[in-house]
Amino acid sequence: MTGYVVQRLLLALLVIWGVSIITFFLTFLSGDPAVLMLPPDATAERVAQFRREWGFDRPLIVQYGSFLLRAVQGDLGTSLRHGTPALPLIAERLPATFQLTLTAMVLAILLAIPLGVLSATQRGKIVDLLAMAVALLGQAVPNFWLAIMAILFFAVTLGWLPTSGRGTWLHVVMPAGVLATGLMALLTRITRSSMLEILSEDYVRTARAKGLPGWAVLTRHALRNALIPLVTVIGLQFGYILGGAVVVETVFTWPGVGLFTIQAITNRDYPVVQAAVLILSTAVVTINLLVDLLYGLLDPRIRVRG
Amino acid sequence: MAGAAAGGLALAALPGLGGRSAEAAGLLTDRTAGAASAVANQGKSVTIALSAEPNTFDPHLTVGRNTQIFIANVFDGLTARDASANILPALATEWGFLGDGASWQFKLRSGVTFHNGDPFNAESAKFTIERAIDPATKSTISSELATIAGVDVVDASTIVVRTKQPDIMIPNRLSELYGGMLSPTHTMATDAAMLATKPNGTGPFMLTEWVKNERLVLQANPNYWRGPASISQITVRPILEDAARIAALQTGEVDFVANVPYERIAELEANPNLTVKTIATPRVFFIGIDPRVTPFNDVRVRQALNYAVDVDAIISALYLGHATRLATAVPTAAFGYDASVTPYPYDPPKAKELLAAAGYPNGFSVEFDSFTGSIADHSKPAEAIVEYLRQVGIDVKLNVFEFGAFGPRRVANQLSPLHIYSLGNAYFEPAWAIKWMMQQNLGLFYRNEEVYALCNQAEATFDPSARVPLYARVQQLLKDDAGFIFLFQNDAVFAMNKKVSYDPRADETQWLYPLTSA
Repeated sequence: MTGYVVQRLLLALLVIWGVSIITFFLTFLSGDPAVLMLPPDATAERVAQFRREWGFDRPLIVQYGSFLLRAVQGDLGTSLRHGTPALPLIAERLPATFQLTLTAMVLAILLAIPLGVLSATQRGKIVDLLAMAVALLGQAVPNFWLAIMAILFFAVTLGWLPTSGRGTWLHVVMPAGVLATGLMALLTRITRSSMLEILSEDYVRTARAKGLPGWAVLTRHALRNALIPLVTVIGLQFGYILGGAVVVETVFTWPGVGLFTIQAITNRDYPVVQAAVLILSTAVVTINLLVDLLYGLLDPRIRVRG
Repeated sequence: MAGAAAGGLALAALPGLGGRSAEAAGLLTDRTAGAASAVANQGKSVTIALSAEPNTFDPHLTVGRNTQIFIANVFDGLTARDASANILPALATEWGFLGDGASWQFKLRSGVTFHNGDPFNAESAKFTIERAIDPATKSTISSELATIAGVDVVDASTIVVRTKQPDIMIPNRLSELYGGMLSPTHTMATDAAMLATKPNGTGPFMLTEWVKNERLVLQANPNYWRGPASISQITVRPILEDAARIAALQTGEVDFVANVPYERIAELEANPNLTVKTIATPRVFFIGIDPRVTPFNDVRVRQALNYAVDVDAIISALYLGHATRLATAVPTAAFGYDASVTPYPYDPPKAKELLAAAGYPNGFSVEFDSFTGSIADHSKPAEAIVEYLRQVGIDVKLNVFEFGAFGPRRVANQLSPLHIYSLGNAYFEPAWAIKWMMQQNLGLFYRNEEVYALCNQAEATFDPSARVPLYARVQQLLKDDAGFIFLFQNDAVFAMNKKVSYDPRADETQWLYPLTSA
């Protein structure tokens, strides 16, 4: 098991390093911060001076080297736009993002599992068809469209929920609901197919044969085993949820890392973009690592193979 | 003709100092409007939604107009503007150009204190201006104050601003956009992060809370020298998404929103609870033409381009009428704007005739650069213009860049012979914008020597009334020589519920002092 953990850990570090390279060089392909930071009438000399002041006149590889050297010491550079270190700027927005993504994940799981189980047990019936139609729609509809429709319906027309922002628990309902849709749809389908598979296993038939009530067969024998693949999917989906949060946070002005990153990209605030992508990808890699390890605990066959 | 009246008063004392203050002449009406109803509105609070929040409250590190037009609520400049962009006294009560050719003297208001109680005086003004131009500050606005050489303290309430060359715009430059005054003791004793988030100005509002991306809370400064603001607390919510911002107004979550898209105006106007107000911004759109490239060295070709584009149709179709057609690069609120210089009419036959006369009866091919993702939409008008040019036989290839990619091409002078751009003339002084447009750099290579000389002359003419005829001539020459395709200035649109009252300003400043609430 220790060898497995170490191997996974090294792989995670390698991925994060790769992300740092890609992010660093891609941001430089996207444009010149000097052009956006300085007033439109800034002279060519002033632009050159700006590049010198911020070290943008050095060769890219040298800039990357110094970025990496500072990054391993916990310094992810200074925001061009805010003039303060990038790391605390992102750290102070992390709680909002975690609140949103975790709420969305819990919401998705709480809705998807009963719906998937119901679908599986009612296979081919109207409930199943309806649930699958909703799941298909949930995965097909883009977040930004759903978000704006939700604002128009729940905030403007019905007046039930605030349009945007963060504050009371009411504020989190719409963004988390919108963010949860895609994941909920996916989890419903996986729960359904996984349940269907398990319901046809021998041990389920045995459980039924020894006279256990239907609900006990479902929860104690079928669902518990059906949840194992779900754990992996939920872990892997964390990255997608974070990606979706970027869009949802922007539409609802949810003050998290996603919104902040979008603003940084628009403003060519390189250090913030690099720091945000690095932190978010570290979060995704960490969650995936934990899921890998957890899966190994849940299913001994994995760690033997690993 | 904004700027004429107040500028004239402030400068009347030439060549010496001692001109009447504009305040005495009763020009402060809209500035003091807030104070008049202050007592009645004490305890009132208002929530507003903007499309962006400031990047910092350090006036010297501001990036972008969205920040500069907002932090004016916390800081005062030496001068200010009224809603029509006339220059008014603020922390300076009067000013004048000294006879030596390169300095301005400002008399400072006495009895003004910063939010923390520090006194405002000549030392504060000297410290602030010198900090703004000190390379160590890494100031983002230093180029706006680049003509300033230094500041001398004459006495506790008088300073002299020395310039490297005569500069008529010093009072404009030291207004609220770039001249927000700082307390020296507080600034030197405070670290950068605190200066960015806990400002200490002399302005009408004090920033008491800032939850990033969520809200800013402004409290009325009880000791404000113009009298406390009408509204005692303003909560500012940055709501980036247009649809969400407008929804927040419709549901009553906020009382006032900025940056309403043109296509939403009709719907909001139909709502009996809401009021929509628009104002022409000083942002002027134009097509840069590279006259070093044939056939654009021929004035007839450049004129043909101007005749070929139906700018009025673009305004009505793309801007739903919310833009103002311009004959030159001088916006309507600018000092010396001459309405008698009329725009080129839409006349495609005339355009073809001129092209034929220039030796291009069958047109020619050219590339045209536009971009997306900047402060205003430049790509849609560019597409329309390209279509009009094709109709007179010019084969135009349109390149659309993301602004981040367009900018470096522009800085490296790699733009195509035609490109679209816009300039927000924050100073309302035509010479500044026109000389900028003729700088022989950043893709702007047109220059009319006579116009340039007239602009230089205007910049050395300290009597505003004497600048008016110079600018009239400049505008006629600019139009006739057609160095650009002249387009329009767009409107800014605000919407509010009937509870609040606010008049938007020509300089785009979100100056909240006159905001009132029922």
